[in-house]
Amino acid sequence: MKVIVADDSRVMRNIIDRAIKPIGLETIHAGNGQEVLDSLEIHGQDISLILLDWNMPVMNGLEVLESMQGNNLYQNIPVLMVSTESEKEKMDKAIEAGAKGYLSKPFTSEALMSLIRSTIQT
Amino acid sequence: MDKIVAIDCSSEVIKRLTGLLGKEITLLSESFENIRNLQDFRMIILECANNQEGVLQRIRKLRYACYFKALPIILIKKEGNIDSIESYLSSGATEVLSLDDPPVACRQILKGHLIPNRKPLKEEMEYLDSFIKNTIYVLKTTASVETIFHEVYFASDFRIFGDISGIIGLSGEAEGTLGITFYWPLAQMIIARMMGVDEDHINAELIHDGVAEMINMIGGSTKKEFVGKPYHFEISLPSVVIGSGHQIGHAENTPIAVLIFEVNCQYFALQVCLNSKGRKKGLPH
Repeated sequence: MKVIVADDSRVMRNIIDRAIKPIGLETIHAGNGQEVLDSLEIHGQDISLILLDWNMPVMNGLEVLESMQGNNLYQNIPVLMVSTESEKEKMDKAIEAGAKGYLSKPFTSEALMSLIRSTIQT
Repeated sequence: MDKIVAIDCSSEVIKRLTGLLGKEITLLSESFENIRNLQDFRMIILECANNQEGVLQRIRKLRYACYFKALPIILIKKEGNIDSIESYLSSGATEVLSLDDPPVACRQILKGHLIPNRKPLKEEMEYLDSFIKNTIYVLKTTASVETIFHEVYFASDFRIFGDISGIIGLSGEAEGTLGITFYWPLAQMIIARMMGVDEDHINAELIHDGVAEMINMIGGSTKKEFVGKPYHFEISLPSVVIGSGHQIGHAENTPIAVLIFEVNCQYFALQVCLNSKGRKKGLPH
């Protein structure tokens, strides 16, 4: 299964990598929202999940969600927001825009894995 | 404790200082090579030698050894032996003083009256406590390190010196800046722990990136607690400054809280410069 890990921080992408690789997920890194859309064009339907930061340069996570919802090919790919933007108002906004779940930074590996498992199973 | 250490000062300068300070302050004369435990003193005095680069290096080393405490470093100049004081101040000296200045002015500086620091007020601790708690939590969760909060003080004109700093702008109900400053070895250790690799694998780019993410998480997790309060803010994308001995300044006319933390006997500083639009006016700066 291929997962896009989108975060402008290389350190954060590595932290996520370390947490999810043991369960056999293959990761594709994106440093901003535009790179997420570029990766979707290349890997398309092979993507099983997107872990998406909110605050990124070039294109932020919310804009990625909105763009995906407007595209029939991508709108069913589950997206989990992983962000420091963790007020309820922001979470609601992301869910309304199509995110399946929300995880606040900093997070434990266990919390991330639990959210991923429940998202993939549904 | 009211001890001052005079480092590499001539007998002439020691004699003048003793006369200015009086008997209530203990003045210890020490050589630079032998100085230990700067924390025991409330001020460091260094005599300016003719070798400017040597003096600058000593100031930098002394500032480093202060572990982010606002310990004044006073440079004593002999008449005519300094062209410009800027290089000394930017290396970490707090003030350059000539003993030929009026005795009243010298005495005020040496007694610390011109370098005001204060402890936070109770209502300032309301928001500082959240920053303390979240700093410890972020480091525990991402790097599995135990962080000890040591102290906080407010300074209206304090420059933080360090090797790497992460800074984010705060805007909204409250405005200001949030900064974190490390010396290189601790930053390297923490980022290595965050990434689960040996410190040898951590280069400047990763430290840059990791420090940015750290201040982002500290700011983000703290702002969540301020929803509906006058301290609520939005955070900007982080900026990072790298450079041995660089200094970080903050907005004028806003008090700067410097919070000192320890990880494995190494120190770092969080700077909270937060001005709430809804806060009562008249708090001391």
